Amino acid sequence: MTEIQPAEARALLAQADRIARRAHDGVRWPYVAFIVALGAATSLGTFAMGLSEGRAFAAAYVGTIAVVLALVLWFTAAIRGRSAFARGRRWTGYIAAWTVTYGASIAVVAWVHGSVLWSAVTSGAVLVVTLACAARESRS
Amino acid sequence: MTVTSGTHPRHRLDDLLQNPVRFSVVAALDRAGTLGFREVRDAVEVTDSALSKQVSSLEAAGYVTVGKAFVGKTPRTSLTLSRAGRAAWRSHLAALREIADPSA
Repeated sequence: MTEIQPAEARALLAQADRIARRAHDGVRWPYVAFIVALGAATSLGTFAMGLSEGRAFAAAYVGTIAVVLALVLWFTAAIRGRSAFARGRRWTGYIAAWTVTYGASIAVVAWVHGSVLWSAVTSGAVLVVTLACAARESRS
Repeated sequence: MTVTSGTHPRHRLDDLLQNPVRFSVVAALDRAGTLGFREVRDAVEVTDSALSKQVSSLEAAGYVTVGKAFVGKTPRTSLTLSRAGRAAWRSHLAALREIADPSA
């Protein structure tokens, strides 16, 4: 068995930390930026849709779709060549969490339209969940 | 003099992770969880063939899972640190910390 001296062990620990940080930081920023922007756009969009009618509703609806499409296009380009994390369990979990809260806020738009309380709760949940995912990913 | 086998933290070091390339591969996957083959290669700074050989050892030990996917017609290989790999890595780091600071 190889004898490892304390100084060598300290050097190995420092090296492990350096490599882990470099690998994570070099790849992760588009994912963090995307989940924050997605949360902000869909939260504001569903809140606006839940409380508006007529042309204002149409503007909120089309505007939200346009922003989300633009974000998806940017994200697809930004992760080209480093998309492995997008197929990982952690990212799937983040997107699943967003989908659940977004589905709830869309349900409020469809069935409890005009309710400030329910719109605020569900749209706020979209923002909180995506910000929590981004914070977790930044700190992992 | 009596030597008590297995009490020194060096006995808890993982043999597989004492190889510098395998050590660096698992270090790169520790925080990220899943990375592409090229991302790991760039982080570890080794050739494709050297990385491929060491990844095969880690995969055979169950420390890393290798995924294959296609982006258009281009094959993409992803590496994911398994639960067993993470446990082995944590134990290896704990042993290194004990060696680095025996008084702790």
